[in-house]
Amino acid sequence: MDPISTVGAAIARARPAYDDLTALAEDVEDEWSYINDLASAWIERMDAVADARGHEPVAAGVAAAVPALAAEVALLDDPHRAIDWLSTFPQVLLIALGERP
Amino acid sequence: MRFQDASPDARAVVYAGIQADPLVARASALLADATHDQRILARAVMNGMSTSPTNWQAMFPSLFGVNAPSDGPERARTEAILAASLEVAERGEQIRSQVRGALVESVTELLVRRRPGLASAALAAVRRERRILFDGVRAEIHPYDVTIETPGASEAIDCKWGARGINADVLHQLDDARTHAADEDEVLTATIVVFDAERSCAVRLDRQTAPHDATRLISLETLDQLAGR
Repeated sequence: MDPISTVGAAIARARPAYDDLTALAEDVEDEWSYINDLASAWIERMDAVADARGHEPVAAGVAAAVPALAAEVALLDDPHRAIDWLSTFPQVLLIALGERP
Repeated sequence: MRFQDASPDARAVVYAGIQADPLVARASALLADATHDQRILARAVMNGMSTSPTNWQAMFPSLFGVNAPSDGPERARTEAILAASLEVAERGEQIRSQVRGALVESVTELLVRRRPGLASAALAAVRRERRILFDGVRAEIHPYDVTIETPGASEAIDCKWGARGINADVLHQLDDARTHAADEDEVLTATIVVFDAERSCAVRLDRQTAPHDATRLISLETLDQLAGR
C-alpha cells in the first residue's frame, strides 16, 4: 500500500474501513435507513474535506493514525456498537486531519 | 409546576450504585474540563475494543503526536482521560453502557453548576433524577436526568451517550414538560445533551416526528454552553 502522504490519501484509505463498518451496522435491520442516512452524512463531510484539502500533505502522525483507526473498527463484531462507531470513526479521522467534525 | 424525587424502584437503586462509582466522578471531572479532542478520545475509547493505550495514542496525533503538548496540565489531562476511559472500556458491556450514561449526566451536572448566573445559594437547585409534576397531568414514569429548579428559569435535561439514544419518547417527554409549564405560566427550558457529534444528532432528529423544535440540543461541540461558556 502507498504511504499516506496527503489528506486525500488519508480519507481514501479510511473509506473502505468505514464502508465495512456500515455493512456490519446494517445487521440491525430496524435501523437500516438511519444507518445509511448517518453514513451518507459523514461520507459527505469526508468528501468535502477531500475536495477542499485533498492535495495537502498530512501532519505528523496521520499516516499512523488512519491504519490504527481502521484496525480498531475491524475488531468490532457487534452491529450495535458499529452504529456508534459510524459516528465516532469520522470524528476521530477528522480531528486527526485538523478538521472540526 | 413542582419537582419531586423519583420513587426509588429497583432500576433506580441499581443505577444509583453506578452513579456513585468513583470512576464516574473521576472521569466526569476530567471531561468537564476537557477540550473537544479530549472528549472525542473518551468517546472512542469507551466505545472501543482495544485496551492498549498505544493503539489509542496512535489514533489521536493531535493529543499524543509530536506537535501535541509533551507535558503540562493539558497533556496530564489527556493521559488521565485515556486511563479513565480504558477503565470504563474494561468493564463488561452492560456495565460499560450504564457507566457511560451516568458519565454524561455527571458531566452535565458539573457544567451546569458552573453557570455564572447560578448564584451559590441556588446551587442546591441543580438536582438529579427528578420528576416534574403539573396540575391535572399524569406524572411521567421516567425522571429527568438533571433539573435546574430555579423559579422563572427552570430547565429539564435528558442526557444521552449517543445520537441513537434520541427517540420519540424522550422528545415527547421534554416537549410535554415545556408545554405543560407554559400552560401554568411557567418557563421551563427543555434540553437534550448528547455526547456525540452534532451532525449525527441532526441525522437522528431529522427522522423524528416527535416535536423537538423547541428542545435545545447540546452536542459534543457545544457541551461547554451548559456552563454558559
